[in-house]
Amino acid sequence: MWTMLALLVITSLAWMAFVKPEQDRQKALAESGIEASAALPQYQQDQPEEEGLADGLMQFWAFTGFRNVTSGHLIMIVVGLIFIFLAIRYEYEPLLLVPIGTGILIGNIPFFTDGGMNLQVGIYQQGSVLNYLYFGVMKGVYPPLIFLGIGAMTDFSSLISNPRLLLLGAAAQIGIFATFIGALLLGFAPPEAGAIGIIGGADGPTAIFLSSRLANGINVLSDGTTVKNLIGPIAIAAYSYMALVPVIQPPIMRLLTNKKERLIRMKPPRAVTKTEKILFPIFGLLLTCFISPSALPLLGMLFFGNILKESGVTKRLAETARTSLIDIVTIMIGLTVGASTQADVFLTKESVLIFGLGAAAFAVATTTGVLFAKGMNLFLPEGDKINPLIGNSGVSAVPDSARVSETEGLKADKTNHLLMHAMGPNVAGVIGSAIAAGILLSYLG
Amino acid sequence: MIMQSIFLAEAVRSLDSLTWTIVLVGIGIVFLSLLIVYWFFRYVLTFILNFRLKSFARKKGINPTEIQTVKTIQSGEVNAAIAMAIFSYFNELHDVESGVMTIKRVSRHYSPWSSKLYNMKNL
Repeated sequence: MWTMLALLVITSLAWMAFVKPEQDRQKALAESGIEASAALPQYQQDQPEEEGLADGLMQFWAFTGFRNVTSGHLIMIVVGLIFIFLAIRYEYEPLLLVPIGTGILIGNIPFFTDGGMNLQVGIYQQGSVLNYLYFGVMKGVYPPLIFLGIGAMTDFSSLISNPRLLLLGAAAQIGIFATFIGALLLGFAPPEAGAIGIIGGADGPTAIFLSSRLANGINVLSDGTTVKNLIGPIAIAAYSYMALVPVIQPPIMRLLTNKKERLIRMKPPRAVTKTEKILFPIFGLLLTCFISPSALPLLGMLFFGNILKESGVTKRLAETARTSLIDIVTIMIGLTVGASTQADVFLTKESVLIFGLGAAAFAVATTTGVLFAKGMNLFLPEGDKINPLIGNSGVSAVPDSARVSETEGLKADKTNHLLMHAMGPNVAGVIGSAIAAGILLSYLG
Repeated sequence: MIMQSIFLAEAVRSLDSLTWTIVLVGIGIVFLSLLIVYWFFRYVLTFILNFRLKSFARKKGINPTEIQTVKTIQSGEVNAAIAMAIFSYFNELHDVESGVMTIKRVSRHYSPWSSKLYNMKNL
């Protein structure tokens, strides 16, 4: 009896949802004098005319995800679930992986696309809500806003007290250019290779910013071909490897250092005056942007955020930038980047290559950072040496790579805290990767 | 292994001059930019701040050699320890007890309404 009642309810709902609107539409078309068959989408024209419940149910079935699902969709949904699992179970960058993982699920809900029918709900469909949100990624709006928030929450004291740590931030950027060469060797066009190379900077917003300018599927190359749209794969690779920094970096750091080097104690950073803290973003902005003006959207916002923080007179603005604003933009950027990984766009040979290059980029950046710290020690006096375990922090995965330095330092000596020292090259890496992005943009944009 | 090396060498040779220009100029500019910032904050800013400190000391009649320069300012760790001590002193005064032990007498007034003697079972 209950089964019969449930069937009756479902039938009534299906009739109200599909058959009745269709009858009303045909009635309205007849009144306006338009041929009903001309207004029907292609998929309906090919079918024999059926009316009633069966037609409505078939139409409903044709629109469900179960009817349109492909193996690609299922693979991507599993990837999204893994992201969410990693974020919740192991707390790997949960603020990024939860929105991205959910975005992957949203972007891979299969829907009816045959016969020119457009539901206008997908991220790549003009006029859809997700497409409007994706505008911020496509036009590079979100990354500078994230940099504003980062600037408002970053304390440059450790860098100001020991400015030579800036050089470690520069050394780790060699990973960007090594990956650029690698991508060219694998057959990517120069702008695409530039966008892939920036994964080595370990900075998600910078990677999105540069790929939205260089590998956006719009720009035309000198030979007349259009660059591929690699924003999704590059962003996912950058954020994935940033989340995996605690897994990727420690083996390389241990391999490149000996026990004696890991035990090096660095001098505690000196106290920094308020004047120095205010002058750092002002002169940092002027000096770096005069040299690399293309990095202005990122560096300008980074240092602007820091001026808001350090000036002491714009506390409300700094508070908003480092809390509400950056949270809102992180939600937008995570969700839309995740949703941009539709199976047909994402599951390609290029994505696999990008993930391979991304892993290599992180390894090279970590290696160059650690080796450069060891190289600097050759010229530094005894008692003023740098612990090479902070060299990995030159990649700008703030603050994860600095935390890795701290953890590895504590493994060697339980009383040797490297976190404050590692924050210096870490924030220098943010500046360095933004400068590198500016250079690539000026040559390849 | 040898074949791989030969292949890699061939591939690297196939890269055009623009690629090498981008790589070398890119690395060079990243280093140069951060070197300039380093140089500015290590030398120029330190010089300016020390100059200001010394001129301030002269105005106040203090011997400039006796004041701390930016380079010799004590570690932030020392300041943090002092700040923590002051914070503890002003905010955790309840930790300093008088040492006088008192036994507070709990007064309980008798009331027949709560007495078991007068409950219903005993009627």
